Amino acid sequence: MSDTSVERQSMEVDIACVGFGPAMGGFLTHLSRGLKAAEASGPIQSPTMPGAPPTVICYEKAEDLALGVSGVETEAKAIKSSFPDFDPASVPMTTWIKKEKTVYLMDPWGASRRPLLVRLADPILRLLGKKHSFTLPVNPPFLHKKGGIITALGQFNQWVAGQLMAEGAVQIWPSMAVEDLLLEKDAVTGVRLADQGVDKEGKPAEGFMPGMDIKAKLTVVGDGPIGSIGRKLNEKLGMPEGRHLWEWAVGMKFVVSLPDDCPLEEGTVIHTIGFPEPEIFGFFYVMPNKMASMGIFVPSWMQTPVRTSYRYLQYWMQHPYLWQYVKGGKVSSFGAKSLLESGIEGEPHLVGDGFARIGEGSGTTNILTNSGVDEAWASGRLLADAVLELLKSGQPFTRENLDKTYVASRRRSAIEKGTRKARHSRDGFRRGFLPGMVGMALAGFTGGLLYVPSREKAPHDMLIDLERYYRDRIPAAELRAMEAECLQKGGTLWEKILPRLGWPEVVFDGALLISHQDALLLGGKVQAVHGYRDHVLFDDPAACEACRTKSCVEICSGQAIARVEGRPVPAFDREKCVHCGACIWGCARGGRGDLAIDSNIAFLGVPGGLHSAEN
Amino acid sequence: MESILVIIDAEEDKPLSGQALETLGAAAALSAIVKKEISVGLVGSGDLSKVATALAGAAAKAFTFSDAALKDPGYARDAFAAAKLVKASGAAWVLAPASSRWSRALPGAAERCGGKVDTHITSFEEKGGKAAAGRWYYRQRIFGKILREQGPWFMTIETGSFPKAAVGVGAAPAVTPVAEALPASRSKVLGLRSLSGGKQTIKPDAELLLVAGAGWTKTQKDGVKHAKEAEGLILAFLEKYGASLGSSKAATDLAAEGGEALTFMTQLHQVGQTGASPRHAKGLATCCFGEEPHVVGWRFINERRAIDLNANCGWAQGKADVLYVADVFEVFKELAK
Amino acid sequence: MSIDHTYHLVICGSVVPDPLQSLEPVVTQGKPGLKNELMLPMVLDPFVNHSLNEAAKLREATKDTQVHLVAVGPKAKLQQLMMVLAQKTAFNLVAVDAPAGGFIDSHTVAAALAEAIKAIPGLDLQKTLVFGGWSSASRASGTTLQLVGEKLGITEQFFGVDRLTPAADGGFTVLERVEAGQHLETQVAGAPAVIGWATGELPELPNNPKIGMMNMAKIMPAIGKAKAVDLASAGFSVVDTALPAEKRQTRVVKDMPAAAVAAEIKEWIASGKAG
Ligand SMILES: Cc1cc2nc3c(=O)[nH]c(=O)nc-3n(C[C@H](O)[C@H](O)[C@H](O)COP(=O)(O)OP(=O)(O)OC[C@H]3O[C@@H](n4cnc5c(N)ncnc54)[C@H](O)[C@@H]3O)c2cc1C
Ligand SMILES: Cc1cc2nc3c(=O)[nH]c(=O)nc-3n(C[C@H](O)[C@H](O)[C@H](O)COP(=O)(O)OP(=O)(O)OC[C@H]3O[C@@H](n4cnc5c(N)ncnc54)[C@H](O)[C@@H]3O)c2cc1C
Ligand code: SF4
Ligand code: SF4
Repeated sequence: MSDTSVERQSMEVDIACVGFGPAMGGFLTHLSRGLKAAEASGPIQSPTMPGAPPTVICYEKAEDLALGVSGVETEAKAIKSSFPDFDPASVPMTTWIKKEKTVYLMDPWGASRRPLLVRLADPILRLLGKKHSFTLPVNPPFLHKKGGIITALGQFNQWVAGQLMAEGAVQIWPSMAVEDLLLEKDAVTGVRLADQGVDKEGKPAEGFMPGMDIKAKLTVVGDGPIGSIGRKLNEKLGMPEGRHLWEWAVGMKFVVSLPDDCPLEEGTVIHTIGFPEPEIFGFFYVMPNKMASMGIFVPSWMQTPVRTSYRYLQYWMQHPYLWQYVKGGKVSSFGAKSLLESGIEGEPHLVGDGFARIGEGSGTTNILTNSGVDEAWASGRLLADAVLELLKSGQPFTRENLDKTYVASRRRSAIEKGTRKARHSRDGFRRGFLPGMVGMALAGFTGGLLYVPSREKAPHDMLIDLERYYRDRIPAAELRAMEAECLQKGGTLWEKILPRLGWPEVVFDGALLISHQDALLLGGKVQAVHGYRDHVLFDDPAACEACRTKSCVEICSGQAIARVEGRPVPAFDREKCVHCGACIWGCARGGRGDLAIDSNIAFLGVPGGLHSAEN
Repeated sequence: MESILVIIDAEEDKPLSGQALETLGAAAALSAIVKKEISVGLVGSGDLSKVATALAGAAAKAFTFSDAALKDPGYARDAFAAAKLVKASGAAWVLAPASSRWSRALPGAAERCGGKVDTHITSFEEKGGKAAAGRWYYRQRIFGKILREQGPWFMTIETGSFPKAAVGVGAAPAVTPVAEALPASRSKVLGLRSLSGGKQTIKPDAELLLVAGAGWTKTQKDGVKHAKEAEGLILAFLEKYGASLGSSKAATDLAAEGGEALTFMTQLHQVGQTGASPRHAKGLATCCFGEEPHVVGWRFINERRAIDLNANCGWAQGKADVLYVADVFEVFKELAK
Repeated sequence: MSIDHTYHLVICGSVVPDPLQSLEPVVTQGKPGLKNELMLPMVLDPFVNHSLNEAAKLREATKDTQVHLVAVGPKAKLQQLMMVLAQKTAFNLVAVDAPAGGFIDSHTVAAALAEAIKAIPGLDLQKTLVFGGWSSASRASGTTLQLVGEKLGITEQFFGVDRLTPAADGGFTVLERVEAGQHLETQVAGAPAVIGWATGELPELPNNPKIGMMNMAKIMPAIGKAKAVDLASAGFSVVDTALPAEKRQTRVVKDMPAAAVAAEIKEWIASGKAG
């Protein structure tokens, strides 16, 4: 997007890396170790500057590397093999997993939209003496993370980065976003950093400094599920035959200081299903020092355009089963981020001349076991091994060489075995909650051999009309009136629809129940560094104009996208944007042709995100 | 003899500032705990013995350091004079107002006397037979109390924290002039400047503080921004009600960025965590969102009201006495009438 | 404009919790501190940050001026900070490994800083301008720089500075914030001096990857070499640290016509006016 006519500084490095998540952590850790280990025997030389060690630079758009917003539960097999003496006490908010259970939450308010069979389940459970919840007698084995850890991704990332910086073989630069790729024909020759000193539209303003061109022999793309650079590659190269990025969810969570009398033991993992809507799964991880990370996933297969994760998170938290544990506690931090749930179905071209992809954006996430961090780490490690091999033997980073090293090892890896098993495990959800649960269980218990098949659909095709979705609960005319009012006066549909369905008002108590804007400020801040352009753009205003439900407004995790009174195109306020990426796949209209994620929202590489001590 | 010395800047024919009298009040509170006598140390120009006489009842002794060069503040000269007064008085506690002048120079005087210094003290209390000095940490967010065993202990006293001492009753203090030449100086005061384009919108002595948030310059009901109109309404309000102006960070940032903003806003107006925490009897916040920690700018405002379109406005809920959920443009037009 | 004069700029500054974090006091092993202190994201003290911008500008305007940043803080946090700061402008880091927090006595911090400054190889005190923030976001006492200056024998000191204008002869004028939103202008013959910055007038420096790479090569070893210093202060303690408990009962007035709101506010403004 940056203007090509301005004069840019440029710099040559050997390896330029985009994004610092667990995937890049794994890559840099093993690359750094390899470079260090070789120092003794005969140092590995820089291809750009023979005689010197290779220069490896990683750019991360978040400040402080604390953008990881997931409270994580992971088996950590790969991570533990990288750190055999791993001691959870060395990373804040980290502990061994001790107990795991899955709990079905009944609907205490009768407001959720349950399919008939599920609706019948609640009275039956009540007859059986269950008041609000039902703990599954066995935790499904495919959900087990025995011997694993609970951690906070931001803390873990910082811990990894600290070690890397001290070793000094690689450099990590936070607050620096990659805006574009440097391309020569189909080869990637480096990255372009974001322009600084520009106005919201990206036009030069006071202190203009064009983003520097970083020329690199190898560009490692580990920018996660919604990374703009990974998505640029997808646009440029297309997806491999039959692959698509159609399964998404937004994970939103609170970190909570539990009350002193909370009986839950450190290391407890609770998964919830059934409530606030059957499509929404929940997690509750008990960390050291009476802290917990608790949150929900709102998936792209939830068909309503009115997917307000924040309000649903508050309802979920107030479910009597969870409330008993948190009551008297205090929310201390908030966060949200998208998950790419396509897994191997969404595997893009992993390598090409001059580039390689790792992590969730490369299709590593296992949707059956709900595991992304360890797989991402493992993919980084595989790439590090390949890169070391090529560096040592003086071979260039061509598609061919990367194919026979990195891609070959991915194919043999545990990641691939896992993601293949998981491949169709969630397909059933496209048919509904129950087929989905059945399909997941089938795939889980048969190692992916059996599943409930369904037709693949792009995320915006999963959304159905308000009238259809709420047909048995709210008259169409009333829904249309709500819509018209929103268009005229601004605001959101969920504010009107949820109460109408019987969802209670949320009464703020300043401790556990706080306003959405307070949540953004609590224990952290939205970084919206001055001098960069806006990163969320509405590509085709005409599409927004024609868009009735404006699902991007409803789903926005920071209230950063809002309807403006009387105006057809929503407004974006980056001071509130947590960079979750939900607007991308949550957009009701495919606007940009046949691309990997078809969306009317462009999401650019600009520094920022949500910054918090406890994420 | 161990005493409490109150250092005040003074001029021959000028009455003492309210801040100086409050510092004398603080000395009285400290004296009630440590049971020591109070002296004053006057730094300034002209015949300071007259000023000393006017302090009858509030201090038993007065030490003066007068020099024409002390008319204007200046670290090197002020620290020198204050240190001389402390040495002459033999004080064990030295208090001065937390004015811009003494906030700068008192720490230097402390170092020169081999003493210790703490600033922005808001309270004294007895703890284990000793005086503990209370103050805010982390920009008004955590309160703590300091205990020191080593002295002399220098402290600046925050405004609005202690009652003004009553003066002019009882015996005048005995005056001891300290006659010393100021050291050669490498600096020269040129005078006061106003950077905010001459419009004096910050008035520390005002009864009322108006906090204007970024909302004033945001898109309004009719889909457009009304920054110019907002400026007019705000200035008219300040004028009519003699109020001082503060702003949220967002509002000052907007002004710094150019574009549609309140042009008279400067960094000096910013109230809150990274700005000032002004002290006024009343505060009216308009168009401000933001939660703790920004709202700490409110902490020293006694009566607080807010106007905002958003009922969840962070400056109001639990922090203000009254929140009017209303359009500020409409309300201010009425207020201007 | 370029001035043919050389200053030695020494910036004193360290980390503070990102101002937007929620803070809660705790006492561990008898010492006051913050809950999760080492987990809190840290930033360069905001006023020091401004002084860094000003130092970069002054270096541009003068000849051969060097910039040293002297930081007393926990090694791990300094390292994190440097990942951001090193991209801003070239400087030479002097790191001292010690806690950085609001409840530490500024006297011991100042002593550590003065020692570290004296030990900077090649530093000419007669050419030195000591920069820093006029007060920190943690202790907010505004005393450290004065004490450092006194210990170095520098008696020309200025605080709450928003502008420094250098002159051709090495002298300069400064604008210091004083009451009522005004500034006091002072002319100074030249270094040595202490300048405690307020917000200054410069925008945030952009991140420059090249500067970052150059800086980092020197910074990481400097952090590695950081000497650990004990900042305990004899006879000094901060006790009873607490958050203000205040919560007001807010009366929310909705749906009242603007004229009525205005009338209520007018009445309130007029009430209890003692004069
Ligand atoms: C709420 C939630 C809960 C989760 N729970 C679990 C769990 O319990 N267990 C589990 O295993 N997984 C969990 N996950 C998934 C897990 O977080 C991801 O799978 C994992 O983080 C993927 O790692 P990654 O390195 O590929 O990408 P990311 O962690 O997304 O890292 C990518 C990085 O790239 C940066 N970046 C993007 N674009 C640019 C650019 N243009 N320039 C510079 N930098 C850029 C981003 O800021 C980011 O830091 C959860 C996710 C969420 C949201
Ligand atoms: C490092 C750092 C330090 C900071 N320090 C501070 C600080 O010291 N002080 C500070 O204030 N902030 C500080 N902030 C900024 C803070 O995060 C918020 O951005 C800021 O306080 C919000 O300012 P605001 O309320 O003016 O603007 P907004 O958040 O934009 O709020 C605007 C408000 O105006 C209302 N409004 C709009 N039109 C009308 C109308 N016609 N009538 C009535 N109401 C209307 C809206 O409802 C809204 O509530 C800091 C931020 C950072 C990053
Ligand atoms: S971005 Fe997408 S969802 Fe939002 S208004 Fe435009 S078309 Fe509709
Ligand atoms: S605008 Fe920002 S916060 Fe809102 S959905 Fe998009 S990325 Fe998330």
